[in-house]
Amino acid sequence: MDVIELAGLTKDYGEVVANDDVTFSVERGEIFGYLGPNGAGKTTTIRALLGLISPTDGTARVLGHDITDESDLLEGKRDIGYLPDSPSFDEGATGRDVLELHARIKGDERSEELLELFDPPLDREVREYSHGNVRKLGLVLTFMHDPELVILDEPTSGLDPLMQQRFAEFLRAERKRGVTAFFSSHVLGEVRRLCDRVAIIREGQLVTVKPVESLLDRSGKVVRLRTAEPVPFDRFDPSSLAGVHDLETSLDREERAGDDSNTAFTECTFTFTGDVNALVDRLDGIGLLDLSIEEAPLEDIFMRFYGTEDDVGAGRPSDNISGSEAGDKQVGDTAQPSGGGDDA
Amino acid sequence: MLELARYDGRRRFKGSVYLSIGLALLAALIVWIFPSFRDAMDMDELLAAYPEPVLQVMGIRTMATLEGFLAVELYVFGWIILLGLYLAYSTAGVIADDVDRGRMDVLLSLPISRARVVGEKFVAMAVPIVLVNILTPIVVYVGAPLIDESISGTDLLAVHLFSIPYLFACAGIGLLASVIFNRASIAQRVALGVTFALFLVESLLDGTDYEAIGAVAPMRYFDPNEILLESTYDVGDAAVLVGMTLLLLLASQLWFRRCDIS
Repeated sequence: MDVIELAGLTKDYGEVVANDDVTFSVERGEIFGYLGPNGAGKTTTIRALLGLISPTDGTARVLGHDITDESDLLEGKRDIGYLPDSPSFDEGATGRDVLELHARIKGDERSEELLELFDPPLDREVREYSHGNVRKLGLVLTFMHDPELVILDEPTSGLDPLMQQRFAEFLRAERKRGVTAFFSSHVLGEVRRLCDRVAIIREGQLVTVKPVESLLDRSGKVVRLRTAEPVPFDRFDPSSLAGVHDLETSLDREERAGDDSNTAFTECTFTFTGDVNALVDRLDGIGLLDLSIEEAPLEDIFMRFYGTEDDVGAGRPSDNISGSEAGDKQVGDTAQPSGGGDDA
Repeated sequence: MLELARYDGRRRFKGSVYLSIGLALLAALIVWIFPSFRDAMDMDELLAAYPEPVLQVMGIRTMATLEGFLAVELYVFGWIILLGLYLAYSTAGVIADDVDRGRMDVLLSLPISRARVVGEKFVAMAVPIVLVNILTPIVVYVGAPLIDESISGTDLLAVHLFSIPYLFACAGIGLLASVIFNRASIAQRVALGVTFALFLVESLLDGTDYEAIGAVAPMRYFDPNEILLESTYDVGDAAVLVGMTLLLLLASQLWFRRCDIS
């Protein structure tokens, strides 16, 4: 039996179809990522699975319980942990008050151990909590009754990098114990690091469900750099460094603009999908004032790798990177539709 | 069972104690000023000077005795109007505020039915409802001899006991608003408006051809004058209030079971 089964789940709000005939299943013991840009309908699916909203069509089963039957779903909830995208607790209560309430209703098997890992300030009132602390408390509450299945909506947003790392390790250990995790994210890199399989949703529709290995291993990084001295343009030109897209450059000193603005720059931004080692090699020897390498926004990645013909036709006629393969939703193959993709 | 009611009740305790102290002070003030009113003027003459609708709205029968004075100044004004509105307002927040602020998602992820969430949060309103009825009767009972008056302890106890189903019915109005509107501020305004409108309808239509309309108002079934002046305790009226409360609770539970939390 699959832990989560969605069968044509649809939530039509009239003006917008938040989930349109979504069908997939999550197997026992896997970490399943639910990936999509903000507003794609991830939270709608999750809240329907928890019985918070009822689907307008289709249905789903969680741990074998029908989500549209409240009393049936209630039996399952003892074995489910849920962390909403922005968890919220009584402001005037202390973390301990909330913890005790949850312990009395659903039981407490392991809060002590969890509190050592994620340490929210239990004796302070929730109103004094930072976003990160609220989320830490949420994580403790999600796992304290040792659920079989955890449903996490954007679990790492608001956590500092150290905590994100700790959470990732924790989740992997949970998987070893047989826990199934279903979590949503809009960060491809995070999903790729953690998940066994991934479902991708966009504008309410399921795009694909794939094992994570077949997902692109390059999500794209946005690289920004500023140099002390002008750098020749061809150093980061797509023709000389594979995986560079949307290169934008500028010289920040007016007086030089006349002579070499077409051939050199002191500031540039580009999206990079190539081999990071090649990028690092290319940076060698440049006197950098500033450098940032960030995960590219998911929306851009979608446009580049999962864009449909509709999108190219209607939204961005100029976006021709995907070329004739734009309509291909299959992402399993290693041949990249992007120009100059190189295996990392 | 009742974990949530206990949790909510405990969180309401402090505020309810302050509320009950405030009302006890109001009671002390009213008892304290009664002699100067009584001695300074002929209260029945004063009443005759009021236009009839005012007497009707305030349910004034006599202010010449301590019982009549208390019935109007403390129980009609303080209990029927102020506390009735307060409980409708405050209960209107119990579900709507949790939904509004996203706390309901966490709560409903627990193995606890929606009907039980509504039920237990409503039960927790017993904390303010009972607490306000503890300190005030003591203050009045002890205060009366101090101004050389006496008041029947049984009547005093009765007026407070009978106010409990009345206050629960008002809270029930708030509860229904709380599940229908998922914005706390709207639910609270609606609850206040409806409760006050019911009070006006009941008191203004009394004695007219439309008197029957007032039958839906909880205010019809709790009359401090009758209890304090005539020692008449209408158990039937209290039963109607209990029925009204249960009906409002049930309607709220049914509504909340089938609505989307958003």
